Amino acid sequence: MPELPRKKVGIIACSGEEIPEGTITRLAALRVLHQLHPENTVTICLPLFLAGGEGDRSFARFFPTIAVDGCEKQCAFHGTEKYSSRPAAAIVVTELIARHGLDKPHGCRKPDAVGMEIVELVAQEIAGTVEKLLGNGGR
Amino acid sequence: MSDFLQVTIDKFTFRVDQSCLYSSEGIWVRIEDGRVRLGLSDFLQQRSGDIAFIDVKPAGTFLAIDDEFASIETVKVNVMLAAPISGKIVLVNPELEIKPELINQAPFGDGWVCEIEAESLDADRKRLLDADAYFMKMQRDAEEAQQ
Amino acid sequence: MSNLQKKIAIVPCSGIGKAYGTVSRIAAYQITEDDRPQHTRLIPLALLVLGDEECRKFMAENPAITIDGCPQTCATKMVQQSGGTVVKQCSVLGTARSRRDLKPQGIAELNEDGEKLATVLAQEVVAVIDASVKPGDGGNHA
Repeated sequence: MPELPRKKVGIIACSGEEIPEGTITRLAALRVLHQLHPENTVTICLPLFLAGGEGDRSFARFFPTIAVDGCEKQCAFHGTEKYSSRPAAAIVVTELIARHGLDKPHGCRKPDAVGMEIVELVAQEIAGTVEKLLGNGGR
Repeated sequence: MSDFLQVTIDKFTFRVDQSCLYSSEGIWVRIEDGRVRLGLSDFLQQRSGDIAFIDVKPAGTFLAIDDEFASIETVKVNVMLAAPISGKIVLVNPELEIKPELINQAPFGDGWVCEIEAESLDADRKRLLDADAYFMKMQRDAEEAQQ
Repeated sequence: MSNLQKKIAIVPCSGIGKAYGTVSRIAAYQITEDDRPQHTRLIPLALLVLGDEECRKFMAENPAITIDGCPQTCATKMVQQSGGTVVKQCSVLGTARSRRDLKPQGIAELNEDGEKLATVLAQEVVAVIDASVKPGDGGNHA
């Protein structure tokens, strides 16, 4: 029986600079990558992915990915789908904010206190999605 | 034209040039016409990150095995590169002065670091790994690093 | 006919894999929010690449300065592929090489050296912007 590679989940954050929600995606993705699920996740660098980064595109073909977008334009989701494969899951920060009835965040460069709470909320949402995609067992 | 061994782990692909010998730390050694050329393996350069600076000992420097022949500085690490064989540095890649990123872009080609006039090549090369052996070691190291 | 002042598009790579990507992002904010807000506009790279009409129109009509975090030069490549005109290509790594005393660290949050490097880079870009915009003129393009 061939040994299959350890299953990992790719996280693609839009990192959009024009709105606070874009920065929130970036921070939330990094929180999951570095703290919540460091062994099970890989970050896909969206600019490199769009520019033709073959390693990132190949990864997204064979491993499940989570697109984390700041707004309904969903650049991370559509970019991944266009250049590789449809992400297994999509998180849109503006929708999450609306669903939870939260205040709008401010600060593109550095989110305000409301924004940082939303970062944590998004990070937990990503982490939960990672666990679901890995079947809760991690492999 | 060299052939390469290759493995992909997560989103990273690592290549090993089959025409080279390797130290266990990932310095490649290519022997051509009695001269020995040194460089960083693909795994070593990827693990280190984008090279901002490289300081190579000047031509004329005598090296014993494991002496520092160069050091690299990236945003992630500072790495001292240990000589895999003994000898005298006779040539430093002049391109690296202005384009150290050549090491990242073409680690087995234009990104070579220096050439050495070997002192005890026959004895020293026995300490090195051939491409297959280095490939296996590299694969283990890469898998551990990704976990 | 009014002589509309052209703005300069500032396009950082915002790469998430390394500190230099965050330096590109912070430098872009410094330029467009603090230093030269009246002459610049920050353009999100992914939005441009995926064909946002308003972004594409802006890029077709205005010059761009790209800020790349690494030698892959994703921002420069993709602005050019999207029909934009890059008048200045900035490299965080290139600037870092001129300031060996600064050791940027951190991706989610830059350390002090990273913030300083972003400021140095922003100043380089501001010099280019200032050279292209003559005071009293309706608006020169770079």
